[in-house]
Amino acid sequence: MRADVVVVGAGPAGLATAVRLAEAGRQVRVIARGNGFTHWGAGAVDALGRLGGERVERPLEAVGRLAEDHPYRLAGEAALRDGLDWFARFAATAGLAHAGDPERNRDQVTALGVLRPTCLLPEPAAQVLGGRVAVVNFEGFRDFSPALCAVGLRGAGVDAVPASAPLPPWDHARYFSAVELARAIDDDDFRRRLAPGLARAAAGADVVVVPAVLGVRGGHEPWADLQRLVGTPLVEAATAPPSIPGLRLFAAYRRRLDALGVGWQFGFPALGVERDGDRVTAVRSEGASRVVVTHCQELVLATGGVAGHGIEANRDGTLTEVVAGLPVEGFPDRTAFLGDRFLGEHPLGAAGVRVDAELRPVAASGDPVHANVRCVGGLLAGHDPTVEGSREGVALATATRTAELLAPTPTPAT
Amino acid sequence: MTPPLETDVVVAGGGATGVAVLRDLALRGVNAVLVERFDLGTGTSGRWHGLLHSGARYAVRDQESARECIEENTVLRRIAPHTVEDIGGLFVLLPGDDEAYAGKFVEGCQASGIPTEELSAAEARRREPLLAPAVKLAFAVPDGGIDSWALLRSMAADAEARGSRVLVRHPVVGVERAGDRITAVRVHDQVAGEDRLIGCQWVVNAAGAWAGEIGRMAGVPIRMIAGKGVMVVMASRYVRGVVNACRKPADGDIIVPQHEVAILGTTSVQVDSPDDIAVAPADVDRMIDMCAQMVPSLASGRVLRAFAGSRPLYQPESEDGGGSGGLKPSPPVDQGSGGDTREVSRTFTVLDHASRDGLGNMLSIVGGKLTTCRQMAEALVDRLAERMGVTEPCRTATEVLPGADHGPHRLAAPLAGVERDGAYGELICECELVTRGQVRAAIADGLTELEDLRRKLRLGYGPCQAAFCAWRAAGMLAEEGSGGDPLAGLERFLEERWRGQRATIWGDQARQALLNHAIYRGIFDLHGAGRPDEAAAAGLPRTEPVGGG
Repeated sequence: MRADVVVVGAGPAGLATAVRLAEAGRQVRVIARGNGFTHWGAGAVDALGRLGGERVERPLEAVGRLAEDHPYRLAGEAALRDGLDWFARFAATAGLAHAGDPERNRDQVTALGVLRPTCLLPEPAAQVLGGRVAVVNFEGFRDFSPALCAVGLRGAGVDAVPASAPLPPWDHARYFSAVELARAIDDDDFRRRLAPGLARAAAGADVVVVPAVLGVRGGHEPWADLQRLVGTPLVEAATAPPSIPGLRLFAAYRRRLDALGVGWQFGFPALGVERDGDRVTAVRSEGASRVVVTHCQELVLATGGVAGHGIEANRDGTLTEVVAGLPVEGFPDRTAFLGDRFLGEHPLGAAGVRVDAELRPVAASGDPVHANVRCVGGLLAGHDPTVEGSREGVALATATRTAELLAPTPTPAT
Repeated sequence: MTPPLETDVVVAGGGATGVAVLRDLALRGVNAVLVERFDLGTGTSGRWHGLLHSGARYAVRDQESARECIEENTVLRRIAPHTVEDIGGLFVLLPGDDEAYAGKFVEGCQASGIPTEELSAAEARRREPLLAPAVKLAFAVPDGGIDSWALLRSMAADAEARGSRVLVRHPVVGVERAGDRITAVRVHDQVAGEDRLIGCQWVVNAAGAWAGEIGRMAGVPIRMIAGKGVMVVMASRYVRGVVNACRKPADGDIIVPQHEVAILGTTSVQVDSPDDIAVAPADVDRMIDMCAQMVPSLASGRVLRAFAGSRPLYQPESEDGGGSGGLKPSPPVDQGSGGDTREVSRTFTVLDHASRDGLGNMLSIVGGKLTTCRQMAEALVDRLAERMGVTEPCRTATEVLPGADHGPHRLAAPLAGVERDGAYGELICECELVTRGQVRAAIADGLTELEDLRRKLRLGYGPCQAAFCAWRAAGMLAEEGSGGDPLAGLERFLEERWRGQRATIWGDQARQALLNHAIYRGIFDLHGAGRPDEAAAAGLPRTEPVGGG
């Protein structure tokens, strides 16, 4: 195998990087162990939700207050702005239009009724709650509790009441997951049969909150269609993984990469790299029957932090970057990995690879370890994407910066 | 104050011994009330490895104890088959182990009545494929697994059906004495938030490692030694049966498969308080490294968590001056100076405080182990019955327990039930196969805390550590309108599950922890507010019961 650029990882950072490089004319190949935080996230685009424990209202403004080694400071505020712009255009073209303004955070409704701060929201999740809100589940779907969601919403000052809508007869085992329900809702006829029951459950409400399961195969048409049939605005609430909005986005990225001729090895983790002096010359990865060697001029690691499997946390407190063995600062022992409170902060969540202004991994001396390796997204040190609410923003900002560095004249999307 | 209760016997302590005493009394027609500070089996009885002893672990140094174990092993299989997993056990000899010990082991087992079968290395590995290739030979013994909560629940249900009462979340806070007799036991009803007096003729102190505290309230000295044992829970079973090292008992010499996990045990360290159940990373490392000598793949396995229990070791008064503080096996009935010489095994001790301390109507039982809890209860109740003039003989060894008609516990039974009913969509906790119907029934029974649901149903025990089931179950509590603010309850549960995990989180489990953090803090934006202390206020135990996945 051979490519100009190998991107390892297919989460929010790897996907955006691969598309942007391919759009700029580079020949790209993606090697990924499996799904990342498209599937495991909230299905929104977080830029900067919290800083020092406080909710951030203006994410771009707050970037200047971050530490100098934060990925936003390294990639630059312009890269974040450009990345969010690019994403909004890309998603809209793919039928997944997002609402929001990089200058202002907004609220995302979650299944627990808590309103989380985020920057861009898919249109089905973007309607602001007001007036009388019905929280409706589809009967038999176990991953959403209208009662629990309504309790949370009332706690946030929303006038919310729980309700339940019957599902029309459909062909499924007694077990059905969010994905199966979302596939059923992709079907026009199913939606027409579903709508009357949902409308009855929503009677008298100004807005209806439902779990985020309104179609998965394509864009937002199933949501728009069902909303029209019900006659009341529908708002998708973020559920626990897998995120259906994240699956939609992943599928859109994949379609785009296919269209751009980007090759994939999906489900096969990268095992290591081959080097010549300070350059990486190839990536070794698992294959169906033998190790696959992919030669490359440039390598982008988008493998994530500890949560994403880019970094292994060892029993002795040390950390290992799993693909190229890049330097990662560890801990004196493993008890320092995590905090006292589960819902507090955990040092391990912010662990990562330190990079220079060109996103090249650096040694303790500050000098780059490799001339042609870049790190993007959750793998980077200096931020905790969960605590800050910055996962997608960091992915897009560092993908944008990488595209600038490796393909100096990017062409616009579409 | 709640109206006082009256009963013949108050049993203090809802562990295996106290519940077995309650059942024994019930079968002899004696009216009794058991009081427990938290929930049944939240002390040592819920904080152990779950081994149904064959007695082989004691065959070399303590044959009397070994004989008790094999007797009770047989009895429990008969009266409580639904709590026993008949998986057998091996004692394996590794290079460097003393071969002479193996000889003594076989002789000891023979002398104690424990059947053994010698297996070649190849036979042993056929039986346990993950055994170290270096294993030289092995001995098969009738060890088993036992679910102590199921046993306690059955014994308590049997006693309650016969008119006994069980009061959980009722810690003993005082003892009313009139001269040389106790007239009543004062308990605190943690749900009602007020004290309550239980008038009684007799008191049985079955508080195990906490027996000294009951003794102090009653004004009699009982010197207990807290012997902390650390156990490590692995995310899968690894072994088909119990695997022991064939050597003098030491740290990290036993692996017990239980439900969906394996438990590695154990250390034995004297600590100041039975409530000291902290686990140090070095303990976890030692358990894994030692047990990995027998089953090497444990070294790279996924650790779910670690917990510790406190052995109820008793130090007789006569040895107090020795100053060694060492952990000694207990002697026969300690009656102070003088008194009768009734024969009771060395491994547990019945204290009759009448002859020992001049307190006329209290007996204590200390030492022992879960496998022999029925026999311990029999010895105590025999003594008590004699004092009370009750002539009914003990029937606990022959009367089978409720639930026994379900037959032996089989690992695959819950899955078979889900498959039979096609109930996949009903699963609230996939790791432990807990269904919506089970959760609904438990809520209808009055459970309002996720922690209670966990202990009753094993909800949240599995490898994902409550990533999905906790908020599903919180949703069900919200739907039933139970348990106050469901989000606060959820946060409380998550923080309670987090306790004491730091020693065991690395590798895959670190990834799981951060993923769970990304769900609850990242997606659901829960921040908590240092809520764990509410657990104490709500009367919840700060304990990690067995199988604690």
